Amino acid sequence: MLLAATDYVRPTSVEDALDALGRRGARALAGGQTLINVLKHRAASVELLVDVSRLAELRQIDVRADGSATIGAATTYRELERSAELRAAQPVVCEIAEGTVDRQVRARGTIGGNACFADPASNYPPLLVALEATMEIAGPGGRRTVPASEFFTGIWRTAVGAGELLVSITLPPLGSAGVGYSSLQLAEDSWALARAAAWVRVGTHIEAARVVLGCVAGTPVRAAATERQLVGAAPTVEAVAAAAAAASDGLEPPSDAHASGGYRREMASVMAKRALLAALALGAGKEVGARG
Amino acid sequence: MADGGAIHSIEVTVNGVTHSAAVPARRLLVHFIRETLGLRGTHIGCDSGNCGACSVICDGQLIKSCMMLAVAADGAQIETVESLGEGVDGLDPLQEAFREHHGLQCGYCTPGILLNAKTLLEENPNPSEAEIRRALKGNICRCTGYVNIVRAIEAAAAAQAGVPR
Repeated sequence: MLLAATDYVRPTSVEDALDALGRRGARALAGGQTLINVLKHRAASVELLVDVSRLAELRQIDVRADGSATIGAATTYRELERSAELRAAQPVVCEIAEGTVDRQVRARGTIGGNACFADPASNYPPLLVALEATMEIAGPGGRRTVPASEFFTGIWRTAVGAGELLVSITLPPLGSAGVGYSSLQLAEDSWALARAAAWVRVGTHIEAARVVLGCVAGTPVRAAATERQLVGAAPTVEAVAAAAAAASDGLEPPSDAHASGGYRREMASVMAKRALLAALALGAGKEVGARG
Repeated sequence: MADGGAIHSIEVTVNGVTHSAAVPARRLLVHFIRETLGLRGTHIGCDSGNCGACSVICDGQLIKSCMMLAVAADGAQIETVESLGEGVDGLDPLQEAFREHHGLQCGYCTPGILLNAKTLLEENPNPSEAEIRRALKGNICRCTGYVNIVRAIEAAAAAQAGVPR
């Protein structure tokens, strides 16, 4: 036995789940691909595991005609990568799912679990912020929605409070916007040293841009200077390179055995450039040079 | 609540046999399979979800059984390596291919890799080498360097398609 003694309940409705989550020491369990290891290491003390992985409301993908999509929080990576409707409407969400870790983890791991884990190196948080996703949280007092930009509040911390449950994630329609995502990883699928997500809308020039960095701070970081510089610029490799160079200015990412903070900061700007180039190639419907 | 925590009744079908059991909430699926059911073909390599030796098929999907609670598998259909094998020498064609192509040395990772290959070939009967290697990502082998494992899976795919290789 590796886990400390605990209890388990598998509610059949969100309401029952909230009742259980209101009990002392309760914690939501979805795919468990992080939480089970946390419990093995006894890094957290949980008296009641509330298994939300089979709740129907948390397991659906609803793609609407305008391209917006609501994804149940316990939707697995595997379900995301296999949804043709979602892939048509929000391709990068599916591409990230299919590039995550391995088949076994993708079969159990969930997008809501990834968001609620809120590790600074997690893959979805920067993208959810760049897409201006809204997070629906259910609690004893009812439901509320929180923009992704306010959802991630610190390392392993989110806006989901005690007794609350992340129910779904809603992505607005992409319309004519392009989305790009780039990660620097030591090996394919491994944890990243730097990440960036980009959302760009182009008319005769760049009309709007959102660039969000991961792995460089406790929460996803908007590269505001880069965004300002892009708006009004021509959608060219040169304009992107010039704007992205400043993406991580002023940030002080952590150093560890894999990379120094300075290297992470530099690479975050490179990832911003690559994500922007990918987004422009998609959104503008034309090639904007090679990635690099 | 006993020392090991709360006990729950579960019903799990493993290799076609339905088992009713009372398990502590904290018991991992891999321990249920190995210790409660005595099916020792499912191995424990790392205890941390990294190595894939404990991989089993749960409701048709490859999972790591050390990363799931037994109680969460209530109602599930599980297949372990013991489910394989009715062919020549009692071996599954997949196992036959691993023997033929030396797809194992110490054999510790093999049960997980066989089940990985089984689900891969069900989803993609004719995978490329790159697809096989990518599918194997979650299963670590420290002996073979994977070359013979990939050959064995390619051979099993060809045999399944009726093409000798």
